[in-house]
Amino acid sequence: MPYLYADPLECTGCRICELLCSFYHERVLNPKKARLRVVRLEPGIDTPIACRHCEKPRCVEVCPVEAIKVVRKTGMSFIDERKCVGCRLCAEACPYGAIFLHPDKQVAIKCTLCGLCVKHCPVQCLKIVEEEKIVGLQV
Amino acid sequence: MRFPYKGYAGQILRVNLIKQTVKKQALTKKMARGYIGGSGFAARMLYDEIDPGIDPLGPENKIFMGTGPLTGTFWPSSGRYMFAAKSPLTGIWGESHSGGHLGPELKYAGYDAVIVEGRAEKPVYLRIENEEVEIRDASHLWGKDTHETTRTLHEDIDKEAQIACIGPAGENLVRYASIITNLYRAAGRAGIGAVMGSKKLKAIAVRGTRSVEVADLDRFMELSEEAHWRILSHPQAQAMSRYGTPLLVGYKQTIGELPTKNHQTGVFPNAEALSAETIRKNYWAKTRSCFACRTMCKKINTSRTGPYAGTLCEGPEYETIMAFGTNCYNADYPSILYANLLCDKYGLDTISTGCTIAFLMECYENGIINKRDVEGTDLSWGKPDAIIALIHKIAKREGIGNFLAEGSYRAAEKIGKGAEKYALHVKKMEISGQDGRTHRSIGLSHATASRGADHLRSLVTVDQLGYEEVAARRWGSDKLPDVCDPYTEKWKALVVKTTEDVYAVRDCLVQCWYCVSWPPVLWIEDFANILPAATGEPSFGKIDELLLIGSRIVNLERCFNAREGITRKDDSLPERFLKEPMPDGPGKGQVVNLKVMLDEYYELRGWSLESGIPKKETLEKLGLHQEAGKLEAMGKLSRNCVV
Repeated sequence: MPYLYADPLECTGCRICELLCSFYHERVLNPKKARLRVVRLEPGIDTPIACRHCEKPRCVEVCPVEAIKVVRKTGMSFIDERKCVGCRLCAEACPYGAIFLHPDKQVAIKCTLCGLCVKHCPVQCLKIVEEEKIVGLQV
Repeated sequence: MRFPYKGYAGQILRVNLIKQTVKKQALTKKMARGYIGGSGFAARMLYDEIDPGIDPLGPENKIFMGTGPLTGTFWPSSGRYMFAAKSPLTGIWGESHSGGHLGPELKYAGYDAVIVEGRAEKPVYLRIENEEVEIRDASHLWGKDTHETTRTLHEDIDKEAQIACIGPAGENLVRYASIITNLYRAAGRAGIGAVMGSKKLKAIAVRGTRSVEVADLDRFMELSEEAHWRILSHPQAQAMSRYGTPLLVGYKQTIGELPTKNHQTGVFPNAEALSAETIRKNYWAKTRSCFACRTMCKKINTSRTGPYAGTLCEGPEYETIMAFGTNCYNADYPSILYANLLCDKYGLDTISTGCTIAFLMECYENGIINKRDVEGTDLSWGKPDAIIALIHKIAKREGIGNFLAEGSYRAAEKIGKGAEKYALHVKKMEISGQDGRTHRSIGLSHATASRGADHLRSLVTVDQLGYEEVAARRWGSDKLPDVCDPYTEKWKALVVKTTEDVYAVRDCLVQCWYCVSWPPVLWIEDFANILPAATGEPSFGKIDELLLIGSRIVNLERCFNAREGITRKDDSLPERFLKEPMPDGPGKGQVVNLKVMLDEYYELRGWSLESGIPKKETLEKLGLHQEAGKLEAMGKLSRNCVV
């Protein structure tokens, strides 16, 4: 399953990715509406956290209204906002903390791998990777 | 009614620590139109609300914390914010800007600014989360350094909250205490941390989930994208991305302007040990950025050997390397790194701290003080341990630290015996890492800036060799070559005055110094393009209108200072720059002829040549009729004004 990855030693914590994510998805400037978060682990580490599109997604298992579905072809999982009731069980279940609650709509949001943040990262540290290739990635 | 301009949140928070109340005030269109934001709002509100003569550490002082219409947007390097108050160091206008991530968060919470009044009986902190604003008990935080405070608040409230706080130095009312955000970003100068300490306000914690709206989103994003690209492709900005401000160590050494031994000279024998390349190679760990910035000039450095092994922090910046390094004749980088971390944790302005220590070292060199006066510390030039020991003492006000915590000017008064001439200050603020002898215009900037010996409000960078094209564009090719000659007073008043007006607008947005002031990437034309796209107000698209506002703010701050008694006699420089020829380097033999630049600057500003106070006509042209009236009533506008 492909997912968004960034080297925590390259990321500068500028959060341009968060800002642009909210712009591309909703035409607003609001990092809390981004589908990824840059988490600061002081001292010094900044790491963009985004949905890993797990092979056995816990979020899909726990969702009580079956709002998260796996697309069989790619193995990626997507949230159907119309079905989501905002119970946050998925956010609690996610081992990466990669599911967020939309501050206005009160539904779960997570990275859909549109890839637009990748283009704008000032240090080009955001990448979409396939897990098979992680072995060859320089860290 | 919704605020008519976009970009702004449209709300100001007013916090009264005596009554323990929080009020939400609407931002007025008049305020936005006349003062843009940030610095401008601060000048207007504090001039109106603070009476002259009040004690900066008393309950009548107020702290303004503010953002601008671009804060929280995609415009490059717009993620900063600023503080203002009457300064306990200088007794006049105090202002300090900071990077990090709190400014945007304040806009996301729905506020353009916060104004804090009064004084709490017991330590408190302010918690802001969208509409919820509380004054909370901070007794469990009092005494903690800024890092512990931030960590504790993250656990107590929310790990995504942005925190600005003071450390022990602010609590102990060290007159140049700073406010620290995100552990390492400092609102350093003018001692606003001490004002927070005097109000028993330990921290401000902000979390916001709203959006910042702009008037024409597509045009805004297009212009921002283009500005980002210009920064990305500028070679000097690229150098900044790689090395950060330590780049300036090498530049300054080359032109002989690297302050050494309390600004005695501008050539440091071991500049190589503190150069950007040396630091990058031996100490650099990672690069960091402030919000929405592509310049990414922040560096995390660490030292792995020696007595300070294990130190890891963002910085030190060029000014800090100057303050604890070259100016104290110290070439040991790890000790400077550690000194930087201590200042972050204690909440101390590195420039004032380091330059006060350098002042003491020069007193020691000249036998004005001896080992007995400083608890046995050997204060010969260049001893890293002595520098570190003094930082602890200053923050805790122990021993000699209690004198030094008052700033070099007051410490010199107490010490006497001729110490005064070694306290290099303007209006009681320590001189920063520049020297007017090798760069005339900074001499004028230091002398005239509203907050004292400041290096950000009007420091011109393009009146030097290598920037002839930019200088020609800004002031006309007829001014070359003198305008780019750093050793002549010619044209310098013009460049300082015009630059000061542009910077005043920059400080309203609140935009970073880098990539505006230096390297010269963005300028007033870019502000005139982006502001209408952000706010929807067409008059912000006229450069003349923006510059008028900039001039208005400079004059308003001058009125604030005039009310406190500032006149021409305070627009001066230490004798070192006026009378002692530069001993070494390309600038050898140079001194600053301040009088000729000051006369010209006052002419350009429309200020009285005798008193340095704005003339009535000047103020009225800027719409400052009431301010002119007040100065007239105080007898400051008459020809017989005592100077």
